[in-house]
Amino acid sequence: MATEILQLIINGIMAGTILAVPAIGLTAIFAVLRFANFALASHATIGAFAGLVANVNFGLPVVPSLAFAFLAAGLVGLATDEFVLKPFRAAGFITTAIGSIALTIALENVVRFIFGNELRGYDLPIRRDWRFEGIRIGPQQVENLAIAVAVMAAVFLFLMLTRTGKAMRAVADNPMLANIKGINAEMVARIVSFVGMGLAGLGGMLIGLDTTIDPLTGFRAILSIFAAAVVGGLGSIPGAVVGALTVGIGEELSLLFLSPNYRSAVGFFTILLVLIFRPRGILGQRAF
Amino acid sequence: MSDNTISRRHALQGVAALAAGSIAAPAIVRAQAGALQLGVLTPLTGAGGFDGPRMLKAMQAVAAEVNAAGGLLGRQIALIVEDDQTNPEAAVRAARKLIDVSKVPVIMGTWASAVTSAVAPVCWESKTFLTTVSGADSITLLPHQGYLIRTQPNNHLQAAKHAEFMASIGAKRVFCLSIQAPFSVPTQKRLAEVLPQGGSELVGALIYEKDKTTYRSEIDQALRTKPDFLYLNGYAPDVTVLLRDLYRAGFDGGRMTQSYALTSKVLESLPPEVTEGAYTTQPSADVESPAFARAAKRLGIDDQDSYETQATDWISLVCLTIAKAKEASGTALRENVRKISQGSGMKVYTAVDGLKALAEGKEINYEGASGPCDFTDIGDIIDCKFRYQRVAAAKFKFLKIA
Repeated sequence: MATEILQLIINGIMAGTILAVPAIGLTAIFAVLRFANFALASHATIGAFAGLVANVNFGLPVVPSLAFAFLAAGLVGLATDEFVLKPFRAAGFITTAIGSIALTIALENVVRFIFGNELRGYDLPIRRDWRFEGIRIGPQQVENLAIAVAVMAAVFLFLMLTRTGKAMRAVADNPMLANIKGINAEMVARIVSFVGMGLAGLGGMLIGLDTTIDPLTGFRAILSIFAAAVVGGLGSIPGAVVGALTVGIGEELSLLFLSPNYRSAVGFFTILLVLIFRPRGILGQRAF
Repeated sequence: MSDNTISRRHALQGVAALAAGSIAAPAIVRAQAGALQLGVLTPLTGAGGFDGPRMLKAMQAVAAEVNAAGGLLGRQIALIVEDDQTNPEAAVRAARKLIDVSKVPVIMGTWASAVTSAVAPVCWESKTFLTTVSGADSITLLPHQGYLIRTQPNNHLQAAKHAEFMASIGAKRVFCLSIQAPFSVPTQKRLAEVLPQGGSELVGALIYEKDKTTYRSEIDQALRTKPDFLYLNGYAPDVTVLLRDLYRAGFDGGRMTQSYALTSKVLESLPPEVTEGAYTTQPSADVESPAFARAAKRLGIDDQDSYETQATDWISLVCLTIAKAKEASGTALRENVRKISQGSGMKVYTAVDGLKALAEGKEINYEGASGPCDFTDIGDIIDCKFRYQRVAAAKFKFLKIA
């Protein structure tokens, strides 16, 4: 039983860590622009496909392909925010969020138009899991975990140490005060759109590395990503990490007493529970 | 003379009024008056996105052949196509559009059982005929009042055949992993009933959620029962993940799944070692029937699968029934489909041949490319063959049709 619980916790950490990367993107965009950008789903898909092109067509290894995924999704995110979602913002946050759903469906179909519906896989060797005392861990998962942790560390260092990162935090915490201090909110919005959607793209590829991808890759993950961000505290970047791990581990541990077909329900019960007792999420809504 | 002048003037006025009326009428009204519209609702995207477009092509090929031979009830056929997205909500919206806007008498093509379960009530409530490939037993048990037929063997029959096959190749301890779908529990129950008849047993079963990026924990749960064979009862996106996770977990036993979950495209997307030795099965087209040969020629492909042949049969059955009933309505289809699909009439193998025979006043029995196309009272087919394949070096190796 102890081995089983430990295995489930490890599986949950692995799943949660990968979920955390796009969840950071979602929450960072919310922190600065104050709307839930559901277009994150299609940007995760775009990143996964951009990474596929880099890896399969250009023959690049995983890490440069991930950089390509980040860049492609980030640039598309920047362009779509500038030309599509920015005009929506004047009509209010709900309109913008709904507009982002329309945007994500449109982009998903652009991907479908270009790449078709088929499942596609990265050009990676598949390896058997390592086994230690009855616990099994996948080498690819460990690599994904390391990449996700490194990306998260880079995001935190960016926010803590760079002038742009501090400007983002300032706008997220108090846009009016940031404006008085001379921070260009428009520029910060562009940067957060680029970085947020870049992280979504990177997360999309990380999901794909472990499985296969198709135009619905991002859409399939968006509810769990959203759950992670809300549980942690929508707008809180460390909260996204805590939320992703909570959802990941919670869903896995539920298998001890529930049938696997109720796994997602656990994530959403967790949202309800957390929001009943902590309406602003586990870590609140302070960006950092 | 004056009479002639007046009548010509009146005639000209009449023509002008007709022309003005037809220009003023909405496009959809003009289209209805022209072509006979038949609804198609296949999955062009989503998990069924591999099969749906091919099914559509098969129907378009038959429609083109019927149109070239003079059409149906003196009108050309027009297929009004919607994408069900392999998604029940999207499918219901699309079905409503086909029924309420295009006023089609029939909807052909739903693929996933969950989609068909959602669309069927919309159809029978509006007296629209529905043809489907969905296999869940529950579908023909719905109170559809006869407004539904399926050319796919029901789940009860499929699960029994699959269990017999697994036992025949030496599987002793079978575990079933099913996606959450209407067919999951009935399949698991049927496997448990039939496997012991071949000296095998179902050591466990679980139902997993779709759209997960990993099924490691589900695999762990299955492997704890020490199975030597796994029956993967899902769709391509999740079966792909299961196969990968099984390889990683070091499982070297047998695996079997439906052909729609392990397609040639899926084989290309996975490393060869992940799929090596996996068995696939599907209801088979009747490859020796004349209808199959004619459909192959029409489509220009030799190896059409069961779904393509079933789509060929739907539109053929629909055309022949409309011709038999001399009326294009859902109720006419319901009342007359069995009059041309079974019985002692002259055997016909294509829609065009059948239309010709009906025009000559003959009784017909359509024998399809997918099988005999004889239906029970609740809309299930009575008989069907199955095709078995095994993966070797990332290619399908044909085993048998039985």
